[in-house]
Amino acid sequence: MISAGIDAGSRAIKVVLFDHANSRIVGQGIADQGVEQQRLAEQLYERTLREAGLERAQVQAIIATGYGRNAVRFAGTTITEITCHARGVHHLKPDARTIIEIGGQDSKVIHLEDGGRVRDFAMNDRCAAGTGRFLEVVAARLGVDLPTLSGLSRQSRSPAIISSTCVVFAETEIIGLLAEGASAPDIAAGVQKSIATRLISLVGRPIAGPVYFTGGVALQAGMVRALEEALASPVQVAPQPQYTGALGAAILAARVAA
Amino acid sequence: MNAVLPQLTLEQWDARYAELVRGGLREPAYGGPLSRHVEREGDLRLRQLRFDNSAAALRLWNFLLTENERLRAARDRGDRLVGTMKDLGTVPVLAYSLPGLRAFYPDGAWWTPCLMECSDRLLQQAEALGIDASFCPVRAMLGAFHSEEHFPLPDLLVCSAGAVCDDFSAIAQRLERLGQRIVWWEMPRRRPPEAHEAVCALPGGLTAPQLQVDVVREELQRVAGALGELAGHELDAALVAPGIRAANAVRRQLAALRATVYGAQGAPLPALEMLVAEMLAVHFCSDREECLGVLRELLAEAQARVAVGKFVTADDAVRIYWVNPVADLRAMNLLEECGGRLCGTEFMFTHALDLIPEDLPPFEALARTALADPMVGPARDRARRVVAECRRYRAEAVVVARIPGASHCPWESELIRGQVHAQTGLSAVELEIPPVCDALLPTLRTRLQTVIEIARTRRKS
Repeated sequence: MISAGIDAGSRAIKVVLFDHANSRIVGQGIADQGVEQQRLAEQLYERTLREAGLERAQVQAIIATGYGRNAVRFAGTTITEITCHARGVHHLKPDARTIIEIGGQDSKVIHLEDGGRVRDFAMNDRCAAGTGRFLEVVAARLGVDLPTLSGLSRQSRSPAIISSTCVVFAETEIIGLLAEGASAPDIAAGVQKSIATRLISLVGRPIAGPVYFTGGVALQAGMVRALEEALASPVQVAPQPQYTGALGAAILAARVAA
Repeated sequence: MNAVLPQLTLEQWDARYAELVRGGLREPAYGGPLSRHVEREGDLRLRQLRFDNSAAALRLWNFLLTENERLRAARDRGDRLVGTMKDLGTVPVLAYSLPGLRAFYPDGAWWTPCLMECSDRLLQQAEALGIDASFCPVRAMLGAFHSEEHFPLPDLLVCSAGAVCDDFSAIAQRLERLGQRIVWWEMPRRRPPEAHEAVCALPGGLTAPQLQVDVVREELQRVAGALGELAGHELDAALVAPGIRAANAVRRQLAALRATVYGAQGAPLPALEMLVAEMLAVHFCSDREECLGVLRELLAEAQARVAVGKFVTADDAVRIYWVNPVADLRAMNLLEECGGRLCGTEFMFTHALDLIPEDLPPFEALARTALADPMVGPARDRARRVVAECRRYRAEAVVVARIPGASHCPWESELIRGQVHAQTGLSAVELEIPPVCDALLPTLRTRLQTVIEIARTRRKS
């Protein structure tokens, strides 16, 4: 049986096609999110099918997840991104006990029980200061793209201290820091540290490990370092972290189809 | 699977109202179609809500939404009005023990910004009066006193102070500085008795040192003196005793309603109507006898539905225990939209639901009840009650609503969620709900759906 998971996030749409007989991913794709969410999801889905050499009729169940899940009308049903990320990470890393997911507009901490069942979760979605949006704002202010921002932080000697808890005010702080001569690497590292610090309260104590980091922001090596320092605990990046939500949705689709 | 009873939009209720009238509906004087509250009072939020389709629910809503008219009519008839603030349930029992006094709850204005979708500008007025968004939305009360549009100015204001909500104390003190005379009474922080102290049992299975009960009793006697002065009639124990029995009649009715609705296999009444019904316990919505009638009709409806197995949610709806009232009523609808149903509540005034002892001297009984206020004791006492009720009503998950700006919420919420999880293994989610939560609906929906998904997964395992 082949099923599809579509993660319609706030920044990007991700599609995973999963073959349950062989328990493997047979297709995946990613595209920027936009205004016409339904059309963009459908285009990406078609493209992913084409690249995988599959027809629509071969896919027996589709589940949409993510912030824009209700806009994906061709999906059979929807499941929240928390449940899907948990399922996806558990499939790839069955030992996971804590999952940190930093998305474009929110951040989440998911605690898992034995067997991968979600025990509890916490979300920060009231302020962009703990989300990937913060990194985008800073990258734009520094005139670099996100991968470059991640690389910049590696060169930092003394991460800048970003004291504000609000992205809008933090941007003002960054302008001030630049005016004072702070380097771009120090600002990049300071922002990553600020995001990581905000996540500590969501994680709680004691930290149940292993901790896996997922979502697009997990591709930023500097962010992983910042999280490890803030949590004083090892943090591992989930394989293909942008796709774990879509993967979880595709795996759960089999259950729905059954 | 049984057919689910529909919840109606305001527009659908107009058609339903016409149908009920054609069928011979008999209504109290405050009856009428729900949509008139939008047109006359500007209660715009009603357009976004879903309502139970029963005549009993119609009466409940009309009773709630006509309180301002009721108070003004009472004053015109010569009644004296008493604003009873913060204690949530005890001083109204005293006030209604005296003929010619009518107590109301100015704090109830905290729902006005929601009902009027902020067109009332009460929150802005409160900010202009020095109380900004860093305080609980109950600050709307300050604007309501200032505008005099949402309730008549009371003849006497009574407010508890001390171990009560910090936000409310600050707001009420600001109100006094603006010229409103307030009779303050002191509420000590409830603590466990020490080894050498006499122990006093309180409603809800709590205890406190007798010394604290004595302090509260004396304070309530002082309040009774002020009420008696206003009424021109001494308020003594002989008058308070029947007042307690009458209050208990309302509380018994509510207890029966809660047991019927929360204990049933399905949900015979929606979460929103249960929230409104429970709130009546605080001050009887300014008419104790009518309040009893409203609750009787609601209970009869719930019992009739249980008897025939007709419910407002699907059979497999997840049983959710809800902690704290919500600033936006829309959030209660959301619970059912996401596949949940209410199976218990702790709305911060459980001392107004528990029976007042009738076998004690009346002021002693009221003092014990007042001291059982969940807000004046440790949060672990609240958590203990939540855990017990989760077990009693077979809850599958817990929602802790957070009131933005309310200083007690952050630490209480964490403790309650922690205790619930540690003792029951249930998942507990926190939702912060502002007075109009439209912009947050997607994220609130995600959180509720997740907790429901977790509960459903637990069912299967």
